[in-house]
Amino acid sequence: MGRTRWVLARASRVLPFFFAALVIVVVWEIVVVLTKPEPSILPPPIAVVATFGHLVLNGELGIDTAYSLGRVISAWLLSAVVAVPLGLLMGSSKSIEHIINPFVELLRPISPLAWIPLAILWFGIGESGKVFVVYIGAFFPILLNTVAGAKDIDPALLHAGEVFGCDTRLKLFRRVVVPASMPAIVVGLRVGFGTGWAAIIAAELVAAQNGLGYLIANGMDILRADEVLVGMIAIGILGFLFDTFFRYLQSRFGYGGR
Amino acid sequence: MNSSTSTGKPLRISGLTKTYATRAGEMVPALGPVSVHVEAGEFVVVVGPSGCGKTTLLHVLAGFLKPTEGQILVGDEPIAGPNVDRSVVFQSYALFPWLSVLGNVEFGLRYKPLSKEARREIALRFLRLVGLQDFANRGIDELSGGMKQRVAIARAFAVDPSILLMDEPFGALDALTRRFLQRELLRIWEEQRRTVVFITHSVTEALFLADRILLMSSRPGQIKGEWRVTTPRPRDITSSELVDLERQIYLLLDEELAKTFAQEGQNPHG
Repeated sequence: MGRTRWVLARASRVLPFFFAALVIVVVWEIVVVLTKPEPSILPPPIAVVATFGHLVLNGELGIDTAYSLGRVISAWLLSAVVAVPLGLLMGSSKSIEHIINPFVELLRPISPLAWIPLAILWFGIGESGKVFVVYIGAFFPILLNTVAGAKDIDPALLHAGEVFGCDTRLKLFRRVVVPASMPAIVVGLRVGFGTGWAAIIAAELVAAQNGLGYLIANGMDILRADEVLVGMIAIGILGFLFDTFFRYLQSRFGYGGR
Repeated sequence: MNSSTSTGKPLRISGLTKTYATRAGEMVPALGPVSVHVEAGEFVVVVGPSGCGKTTLLHVLAGFLKPTEGQILVGDEPIAGPNVDRSVVFQSYALFPWLSVLGNVEFGLRYKPLSKEARREIALRFLRLVGLQDFANRGIDELSGGMKQRVAIARAFAVDPSILLMDEPFGALDALTRRFLQRELLRIWEEQRRTVVFITHSVTEALFLADRILLMSSRPGQIKGEWRVTTPRPRDITSSELVDLERQIYLLLDEELAKTFAQEGQNPHG
């Protein structure tokens, strides 16, 4: 009885996603049947599944995925290492916020994609250029969520910290400000990973010899729409999996705050 | 059972005032002058209409706010900022949601010269005192409002304070939970005797708890009336003695309420 209910609850959450995927495939198949496009422009779903299997088996998809993920994770971590402490400082000190905020407001509207040409000029097409672009993409969501989290702490919690032994600003910071901001930081890390993931594909489209973005760009160059679609599907699935993972973290650490 | 033989320290407040500067640069007196002498181990309840400055008074006593003028002595020591020696129970509980129930009670013991085991033992003892020993490893979000406030009371007593400051601690609770916690608080206080300053807007609560009731006037908050309650505890607040006292308090309180609402009428931002 309880087991059945658990399975049903799980299924009711997962089923809509399968339904959405099914609708996409059906519409795609109908379009192919009705318009009979060149397979190099739009192959039927079954051909893409075949190519997907082929690229998985010969290891190409795995290698490209590893390259893209490696770039995103390293750049995203580097971004977090700077953005989280800076955000906590900005959120807990008005004067620091006043000094840093203009920089943020001026740089934030510039899309990370707009940095790609400069990244190529500065770093060439090596790894550092792509890491730089992802760094910028992940930075602002992490920073802004952390600032909001640190500013939004219930003043009574800070008072309680002071009463119960945090007699220096550093102690209060370590024992109250940081843990109280944690749920907002996890949100920032999740959103930052998403924007970083979008940015790496763009950077690889323009300047890379490997990675999922390269797989797509190369597929276009050699007129292999099936490879382009395999790349896109892989990007979608991985992005979705990471978002799900972060939502799980959020539910683990997402205590109410007050 | 009781590790501490103290019954708290006396609190001497003399000529205390607090003035706020508005954004327009105007100086608005919020509090005082207030002069009160609270004896060691005395339970003093401050009653007043909302916005009369009683929370300001408590925040100054806790050290969150610096007084504009006047002096506060705990024993013979002037206060300098917040300190575990004057622990606080907040209306919003102010428990740390990332810590367990036990972690919250241990929080204030971290900077005392105690071994890990001793710290844990003290925290568990105070959880037992509020009847929540079985919830030691639970998360704060799993507790009801009344249970949260019991954890907060355990946290406040566990640090062995000289003075306990309580800022409308039962104001957010339903009437029955409130009634239960008032009894619990008295039971704990009788075992762990401390000097208590308790803020409320409920005259009934004051009559039930206090050794002495202070009535605060509307802004700037001053002590308008003072009554000793000698009825032994547990008290029946429907006894003629307390009903009579209640009438006296309301007589003065109603004057203050009229003034408060008149002020609000004159100044919509007040």
